[in-house]
Amino acid sequence: MQNFTYHAPASLAEALALKNEDDAGTRFLAGGTDLFLAMEFAGEPVKTVVDLKKIPELTGIEELPGGGYRLGALTLMGQIEAHQGLRAQYPALVDAATVVGGPPIRNRATLGGNICNASPAADASTPLLALGAELVAVSAEGERSLPLGDFWSGPRQNALKPGELLKEVRLPALPEGGACAFERLTRSAMDIAVVNAAAAVSLDDAGNFASAQAALGAVGPVVLTVDGLGDALRGQPCSPEILEQVRKLAEAAAQPIDDKRASAEYRRDMAGVLAMRAVERAQLLARQGKGDEK
Amino acid sequence: MKSSVKLTVNGLEQEHQAEPRTSLLTFLREQCGLTGSKRGCEEGECGGCSVLLDGELVTSCLIFAVEAQGAQLVTVEGLGTPHHLSPLQEAFATDGASQCGFCIPGMLLAATNLLERNPDPNEQDIRKAISGNLCRCTGYDLIVAAISMAAELKKGARG
Repeated sequence: MQNFTYHAPASLAEALALKNEDDAGTRFLAGGTDLFLAMEFAGEPVKTVVDLKKIPELTGIEELPGGGYRLGALTLMGQIEAHQGLRAQYPALVDAATVVGGPPIRNRATLGGNICNASPAADASTPLLALGAELVAVSAEGERSLPLGDFWSGPRQNALKPGELLKEVRLPALPEGGACAFERLTRSAMDIAVVNAAAAVSLDDAGNFASAQAALGAVGPVVLTVDGLGDALRGQPCSPEILEQVRKLAEAAAQPIDDKRASAEYRRDMAGVLAMRAVERAQLLARQGKGDEK
Repeated sequence: MKSSVKLTVNGLEQEHQAEPRTSLLTFLREQCGLTGSKRGCEEGECGGCSVLLDGELVTSCLIFAVEAQGAQLVTVEGLGTPHHLSPLQEAFATDGASQCGFCIPGMLLAATNLLERNPDPNEQDIRKAISGNLCRCTGYDLIVAAISMAAELKKGARG
């Protein structure tokens, strides 16, 4: 690894100023579990590292007054795993955070780092996309928010502009009668997903789908949304025929490649199966949620 | 380019000069002379370099030493001595949980961290706690049994 200058500023303004001095040569350091390896093995030409861990504005998990949650970019996977409020409302996100690496990685790896790293197989990103998460980016000019679905343009490519930093993730409240679920296919603990899928659904009073969104990971250059799912499911019961439609839509959304973990054909088939399972389990959870209220 | 990195390892203050690119693992092994933490995969996969950083289990190979400025660290050298083993070390020795031994420092720290938080873990809790630590001898069953036994011993000691 080539040597670099290390800074650990205590304020957001200072971190942004350091980045602006030499944007191309400067990298923000969160947990470091991806950046360290990129610098060590991919030989990324980094001249300056700005460690973000002392900046209070980037931490914390808070429920928002109008519903939903704010998660600081430096939120650890392990903190999501242990958060009872998130577990109650967003089990898809908690389940996904729980399978990122092993315990020592989850004690370092951050949600923001995972999103910015823009791996198509990033487990936590799939439920965030299905749940309709928004990102807040900050620069010396101020803050802007953007939908997570607009953030990735390809593997390792994100929409942050020069001088910008991901500040937080905002999770909208689930609709009334809503629930979510995460599914993942892999060979063993610690391995990267062959395919993952997440679904967020809500049911109407008759028990039919009122809304449905799903996302797929590791089957394209970025984490993908399953297009057309909401329109196909709205007003329908969760029948075998409807789940078959979920499978077809997921297979159509997938853009998989062959690699050492799986063939494109297998990935496409499994994307369909996992999407079906995620939708079915989310609707079961939604049904249980309705039952609990009565 | 070197700067002073000062931290506490196993209760003793350590201050050495290090470049920003020096990993915490290299700092511990080469500057502090504590070679219990093992250099395995060096990419956060094997857990051989696991240490407790401010009470949290982390892989020291993926952390820059400068990031740990002022931190409290525990390595395997801080758990017990050859004449005064910790209950976990005692159980590993008695149960034959150590084969080649390379993964054992990381396993012991993962297990120490588990028992501090959950004194009465079931088998699933134990397997989850060591899921970031690979044993190349594949001796997991005896390791799980030893951790379970250590929990029992500690319970007995508490009465």
